[in-house]
Amino acid sequence: MDLDLNQDQQAIQDAVEALLAKHAGPERAVELQVDDAYDHALHQALEEAGFLEIGLVDGAGWLEAVLVVEAVARAAGTVSIGASAVVAPALLARVPRGAVALAGGEEGELIRHAVQASCALLDGGEEAILVPLEGSPATPVATNYVVPMGRLPGSLPEGERLGPGSGELLRRFWRLAIAAECVGAMRAALDLTVEYVTNRRQFGRPVGSFQALQHRLAECEVLVQGGRWLTLRAAHRAASAEAAALAAAHTAGTALRVFNEMHQMTGAMGFTREHPLHIWTTRLHVLRHELGGARLHRQAAARARWLHHTTQGVGRGN
Amino acid sequence: MEFDWSPEDQAYRAELRAFIAATLPQSWAEISQEGPGGAAQVAYSEEFCAELARQGWLTQHWPEAYGGKDASSWRHAVVSEEMWGNAEPRGPRYMTVNWVGPSIMHFGTEEQKALHLPRIARGEEVWCQGFSEPEAGSDLAALRTLAIRDGDEYVINGSKIWTSYVNHAHYCFLIVRTDPESKGRRGISALLLPMDLPGIELREIPGLLGKKYFHEVFFRDVRAPVSCRLGPEHEGWEVVTYTLAYERVGAAHYERAERVLDTLAEAARKRGLLEDPSILERLGQARAAVEASRLLTHRVIDLREKGSRPTPDTNIARVAGTWAVRAVGDLVHELHGAAALAYDTEADGYYRLSQWAGVASGTTEVQLNLIASHQLRLPRE
Repeated sequence: MDLDLNQDQQAIQDAVEALLAKHAGPERAVELQVDDAYDHALHQALEEAGFLEIGLVDGAGWLEAVLVVEAVARAAGTVSIGASAVVAPALLARVPRGAVALAGGEEGELIRHAVQASCALLDGGEEAILVPLEGSPATPVATNYVVPMGRLPGSLPEGERLGPGSGELLRRFWRLAIAAECVGAMRAALDLTVEYVTNRRQFGRPVGSFQALQHRLAECEVLVQGGRWLTLRAAHRAASAEAAALAAAHTAGTALRVFNEMHQMTGAMGFTREHPLHIWTTRLHVLRHELGGARLHRQAAARARWLHHTTQGVGRGN
Repeated sequence: MEFDWSPEDQAYRAELRAFIAATLPQSWAEISQEGPGGAAQVAYSEEFCAELARQGWLTQHWPEAYGGKDASSWRHAVVSEEMWGNAEPRGPRYMTVNWVGPSIMHFGTEEQKALHLPRIARGEEVWCQGFSEPEAGSDLAALRTLAIRDGDEYVINGSKIWTSYVNHAHYCFLIVRTDPESKGRRGISALLLPMDLPGIELREIPGLLGKKYFHEVFFRDVRAPVSCRLGPEHEGWEVVTYTLAYERVGAAHYERAERVLDTLAEAARKRGLLEDPSILERLGQARAAVEASRLLTHRVIDLREKGSRPTPDTNIARVAGTWAVRAVGDLVHELHGAAALAYDTEADGYYRLSQWAGVASGTTEVQLNLIASHQLRLPRE
């Protein structure tokens, strides 16, 4: 056991943070949100620097990929980072060009980046299916949640079936990706809120000095750190069914709590688009619903341990 | 970053499991019904610890100079997990080797080390912790028990409360106020007090957790030699901080929680409930809490192994541990229903102790205060 990042892992984290300092951050996210746009420039920068394929590189792996996903989520990058750096490489052994959408296979489901994606990975139950999305067949769906969302049409090109067991593989790595993005977004939202309550004064003192807020913030810290360790372990275990489901169960289950608490503690200011908090918290709402949300992640974790089942998705194929 | 146990530690765990399976008596479930402080478990722990010491496993995490094997903190964690996973056959002696011994090594005189360490290492001494007082619980630094210097003796007057294992203890790790003019953290000293001195009286407080669990201890003009003081006079708060950092994650509560959760899943399976999505959901949710607690505790062990000072990581791990134990405890009642009310059931045994998790060794609220100030660095009033 050794729970510190090794030198290479630390170097990767530093390098991706340096890139993100230039290309991402809350201001950039606000800029993009005006047009519900995807950050193609950031995607390209990450791709060219090799961060999207890091899970496949000799001497690196899923833990390094998850560090990248977590960092991008912390920096509020508007890219399909979990799908592009974790899920697609695990299924395809390569990184597809352009944004990648992940779909549970439910009719009419809301899908992140569906409009901007060049391909989608579909949970077809036993098999995962790679569907090209040439000519942007998806319909945009307006939401209040910053991330561009869309619906895929009922009839799609046949796509490439990825073989028996690939459905389970998709769900395992998708859960790992959800967890990593949740951890990054929760970390940033919590840090920002701690800063806010430290500076905001009412009744002649910082509001963060009230124990009524301190205990709840401390509880969120325990939850975010616990979720992070579960996520890193799941990455280290190459998204084993149980480890990945536990990570997603914990983080997706915590996401709503963090959303509610951070917005309560930042008051009306946190509900404005002038304060950056919403850049992270709104994403948590999107993430917490993916692949059936905490309810199904918890069931998947229990099935993996006590029923030795492969996990079930939400779609018709299951 | 490496989440797997070394092959050596894995092999050792297998060996230890085999030893435990071969050593624990048939009646272990009955013996352990009252928890580590129950009379039967305390009595059995003497025999078990002696056997463990013969194997060289009771204090292997101690330095060689004190009869240990310099084993890593990870090796010690394997022992903690296997012991708590089996309802702690070391009884109260777990805390003697976990933090009493290390505190004596760190702060003790050569005489104190020579007196206690070899006996602790053989599993012979039982200790209790004289910290809480009726007016000093969460606010431990408000303690009032006085030890006034009289020549080469201290004269102790006052009382301690909630003192687990005191009815079995040979010594008390006692904190007292040696400077009667002082307040708060200054003026406190730690004493290694023999429990057979005249003037010490016990009163049992009937409690919800089990028989003979809570006690109050009264000290009336108890005269103890100054040589039993641990560390510098009036500066015992440092000793307290040191011991608490060891105590708070010394017991691998998550390991027991995990095993109880496994038995709950088995019970649900037998009743045909294991395919029920709502049951699966609750089991999965509790298991996520247990595993988060395990990993946060492992992080503390990792820091300790690397020589890091006590940090808020310890408080974070403790809070997560309490949540894990509670989540499983609540599920015990949910799955077993009214049957879990019966005193002599395994379900009740676990539930009774699980209620206690947020109070023992510092309430959850105190842990949260420490996280708020030392981890989040939130402002004070």
